[in-house]
Amino acid sequence: MNAKAQKAKGCGIEPAYYDAVTQAIRSEAVKVLKEGAVSAVIGYLPGRRKSAAVPAVVTTEEEAGRLIFSPACVNNLSLYLTKAKKGILPGGKIGIVAKGCDLRALAGLMGESQIKRDDLFIIGINCAGVQGAVAAGNGQLTEASIAKKCRECTAHTPEGVDFVAGTLPHLDGLTPLEAEELARIEAMPQAERWAYWKEQFSRCIRCMACRQVCPFCYCEQCLCDKNRPQAVESSPRPAGNTAWHIVRAMHLAGRCAGCAECERSCPMDIPLNLLNRRMAQELKELYDYEASMAPQEKGPLNQYKEDDDQSFIK
Amino acid sequence: MHAEQVKHDFEPKVVAFVCTWCTYAGADLAGTSRMQYPPNVRVLKFPCTGRIDPVFILRAFQKGADGVLVSGCHPGDCHYMAGNFHARRRFAAFRALLDFVGVDLNRLQFSWVSAAEGGKWVEVVTELTERVRGMGPMKEFKELELEEQWSASLSTPELKAAYDSIT
Amino acid sequence: MSRIGVFVCHCGENISRTVDVEQVAAAAGNIPGVAFSCDYKYMCSDPGQNLLKKAIAEHNLTGVVVAACSPRMHEKTFRKAAGAAGLNPYVCEMANIREHCSWVHENREMATAKASDIVHLMVERVKKGKSLAPITVPVTKKALVIGGGIAGIQAALDIADAGHQVLVVEREPSIGGHMAQLSETFPTLDCSQCIMTPKMVDVANHPNITLYSYSEIEKVEGYIGNFQVTVRKKARSVDESKCTGCGVCIAKCPKKKIPNEFDQGHGMRSAIYVPFPQAVPNTPVIDRENCTMFQSGKCGVCAKVCGPGAVDYQQEDTLTVESIGAIVVATGFKLYSIDRKPEGSMIQGYGEFGYGTIPDIVDGMTFERLASASGPTGGKILRPSDGKEPKQIVFIQCVGSRAREKGISYCSKICCMYTAKHTMLYHHKVHDGQAYVFFMDARTPGKGYDEFWRRAVEEEEAVYIRGMVSRMYQKGDKIIVMGSDTLVGVQVEIEADMVVLATAVQPQEGADLLAQKLGISYDKYNFYSEAHAKLKPVECATAGIYLAGACQGPKDIPDTVSQASAAAAKVMTLFAKDQLERDPVVAKVNEKYCVGCFACKKVCPYGAIEEKEIKDRQGNVVKVIAYVNPGVCGGCGTCQATCPSKTVELDGYTDEQIMAMIETL
Repeated sequence: MNAKAQKAKGCGIEPAYYDAVTQAIRSEAVKVLKEGAVSAVIGYLPGRRKSAAVPAVVTTEEEAGRLIFSPACVNNLSLYLTKAKKGILPGGKIGIVAKGCDLRALAGLMGESQIKRDDLFIIGINCAGVQGAVAAGNGQLTEASIAKKCRECTAHTPEGVDFVAGTLPHLDGLTPLEAEELARIEAMPQAERWAYWKEQFSRCIRCMACRQVCPFCYCEQCLCDKNRPQAVESSPRPAGNTAWHIVRAMHLAGRCAGCAECERSCPMDIPLNLLNRRMAQELKELYDYEASMAPQEKGPLNQYKEDDDQSFIK
Repeated sequence: MHAEQVKHDFEPKVVAFVCTWCTYAGADLAGTSRMQYPPNVRVLKFPCTGRIDPVFILRAFQKGADGVLVSGCHPGDCHYMAGNFHARRRFAAFRALLDFVGVDLNRLQFSWVSAAEGGKWVEVVTELTERVRGMGPMKEFKELELEEQWSASLSTPELKAAYDSIT
Repeated sequence: MSRIGVFVCHCGENISRTVDVEQVAAAAGNIPGVAFSCDYKYMCSDPGQNLLKKAIAEHNLTGVVVAACSPRMHEKTFRKAAGAAGLNPYVCEMANIREHCSWVHENREMATAKASDIVHLMVERVKKGKSLAPITVPVTKKALVIGGGIAGIQAALDIADAGHQVLVVEREPSIGGHMAQLSETFPTLDCSQCIMTPKMVDVANHPNITLYSYSEIEKVEGYIGNFQVTVRKKARSVDESKCTGCGVCIAKCPKKKIPNEFDQGHGMRSAIYVPFPQAVPNTPVIDRENCTMFQSGKCGVCAKVCGPGAVDYQQEDTLTVESIGAIVVATGFKLYSIDRKPEGSMIQGYGEFGYGTIPDIVDGMTFERLASASGPTGGKILRPSDGKEPKQIVFIQCVGSRAREKGISYCSKICCMYTAKHTMLYHHKVHDGQAYVFFMDARTPGKGYDEFWRRAVEEEEAVYIRGMVSRMYQKGDKIIVMGSDTLVGVQVEIEADMVVLATAVQPQEGADLLAQKLGISYDKYNFYSEAHAKLKPVECATAGIYLAGACQGPKDIPDTVSQASAAAAKVMTLFAKDQLERDPVVAKVNEKYCVGCFACKKVCPYGAIEEKEIKDRQGNVVKVIAYVNPGVCGGCGTCQATCPSKTVELDGYTDEQIMAMIETL
């Protein structure tokens, strides 16, 4: 199947859509910078390689005029607002380009007192999707190259933002590969599941990219870096790896926005988002909680109801 | 009347994380009532189930526990009003996570045992101990502890050949 | 390097019978960081404590583990001893090898191994333990007494007489409780109201007592010395400050046929009423459900006749927040209901007795009202159905009590005595009548009690039949009581005119709900749990809350009054100091690493976590982080388990201590 056929059958997203979004972002970013409404805009600039994109903090109208949105704009930019990385930003109100999933992360960070809505000018994107780890040669989005998370996205349209960029094109339904994979693992016998994850986790080299790229891993000192006491072994051995990934999933439970940046950035291709999704699914079932684009006062694990399920307790 | 306590071939290690107000007191009551139960359980006292971190359970399994019990006050009875309610959600989520990564949940028991329920303490501990005894040792985490490999298995013949050439 | 001392107690033979204490001590000596270990017959004895103190000095110990009984038993003892020897009390811990080991295991080898493990756990815990300094908090010298029965009244008067402010909160329109309902009291047969009402008046007149009648506890926050209690004053529809208690409203109220609860439904009252003539306060209350004005908007007679204009139909419930230093819970009891099968209760009910479908089967409290000079019959024993004097009366004891199959296994304690009293009252009032008593056994421990019971049997002609009643049914105007006399071994059938059931004593309605507001524990019957069955019978496990009377378990009047005075003494002890030393097991935030996500604040049950601004030298806010108010923190540690990076840490239960314990497995 050639690229054209894939496109016809698959996403069917014309490059013109991305161009339109790009133009909208540029004009709005230039406008708010010119007006002095914001001191900087966090967005994407073209990368050195063809069809690539890099996150950037732009402070001038000229730079803002070069902002883009393309299938390569994968990064969750809310990362740059959290305390650990805050030093790179100038003071004052900040503009930020946000896809739906990124917007959920922004809302989560607001709920956790890490950022204030008033300090942000959010340029939301009517997002058709971005690419996964492997880009198509021509930089276009195809069924083969679209990110797994985008195949079953429920956050195409931004809500509660200051400006909406682009119009959502018609989107074909795609097979939910990740949901299918999740169901497949869940259906495995328990021992087989353990073997599956053991193999996955044993590959981990503890580069901590998953932590660095996660907007919610903003702790000054990660529990897993502590050595008095050492809760999680820090060397890349199977025991510590398993503990790290379990602790990571647990700490993100009820907070994860589903941007899947952890999985994208993992050099060892560990399907980390499956863990996140499994937790999200459980919290939805148990407590009817879902990550949303509006800040929530308390996460599902910071609150309780007296009649919460306790069928598992004897 | 008393359960006969003879040494079995496999004596599982059972760790109980309990709150001091209800379950610890319930275990005390089992003592003052001279009830009998298997001596495999080691009790770690916490002020409240709300203090019990999932990491502790993980660590206990890594350090050789074959079964883990988490027990506290019944809902509404928490000495700290709501600690057990928070714990209930936390462990509901953690349980699901462990299940998903393939941990047999039969090794992890949650219970409410009040200060008045010495009998229930005996029942819960006995049941968990005997269940875990039947399941045999918790090998999964222990094996991980022993494994030294830093990366995946040598999945291709080329890698295997390369590996063999250097050793 | 730690220098830990391990002291293994034999507890006479309680531990050493099952656990090889010498071996445990020897094994402890091999644990790295243990500088000294020994075993001793009674560690809690004076010589035992001296041994500990001496070892601390001689071996320059940095921490102590006493392997003995439960820390709930003697932790304080040993911490005090360690403190006296110059050690911080919080590096002294107990390894529970009695309740958790020697008493529950028989296999000596396995019990010894377990005891060694328990000691090892605690050694690691102490090694990572920190010296903690007690926290001092101010004490609000005002007590709250919940319940205005004899227990609450006694406690309130004692505390008030000591010079402290007391707030009495009573759910009913008047204080007095059950004792005000009684006719005469055992074993002296003095009139209950004659001894009760002066005390009620004392409460009303005491300058240090504030009485909130017809009020309930809405919310309790805070901790010992510093409770914030919200009281709901229910709408009385009568302004207490204006009402003179003249009673004209009651006389003129057109709705007069409402069964009076005070008379167990056998007397009548009006819609605006005081429960009984000696009520304190003597301020009427409008029963809105039965008042024509509230139901149909027409009437308003009481407002028209009220001289001072005290009747206020618009009155609403008001909430008052009070600062309180100590709480005495004295909510009393209720009787097991014979009128209905309790819903959702573990109590089975007595279908075979007719569940109150037979009007002349009454409970003990109803009999009290019938025998009372102020009762609905003016003190004449007349049966409810037709007002005839019963010539054959049957008393049945242990209805509900001591009946495991019915759901209650405890003895209600007061019934043997009050039934004996009832037979006497009956004999005094119905000279030609005959009283029968079905009983299991007569339990009469107490000063003058057995003499009293024997008097009922030997002098007052009550016929005691040892056995239980299996069935009762109405036949004409008689109640056929079928039972057995187990001493003679025959079936007995009595044609009775009236039957009085000594029904079980149960905690008051809603006792569990109040306990949840207070954060105190209760048993499966909803009786409140004392901190220690023998040595702390009036304290709750929750500091600053004390128990008085039947809310803790069935009690007669002398016992109730004793416990109330004991609770009052505990409150006075607390109020004797201006500052209170608190257990320093509280959470602290590591300000360097806190990023201010405030997950801890969201889960804190005490609202102890505040937002704190960290400023630089120029006064610019650098970051906003969490701060734990040590006075408010209850020490549950939910914050730490919730904090992803564990930058909030509970002293005494640090991750380092817990992880070190887990490492020993």
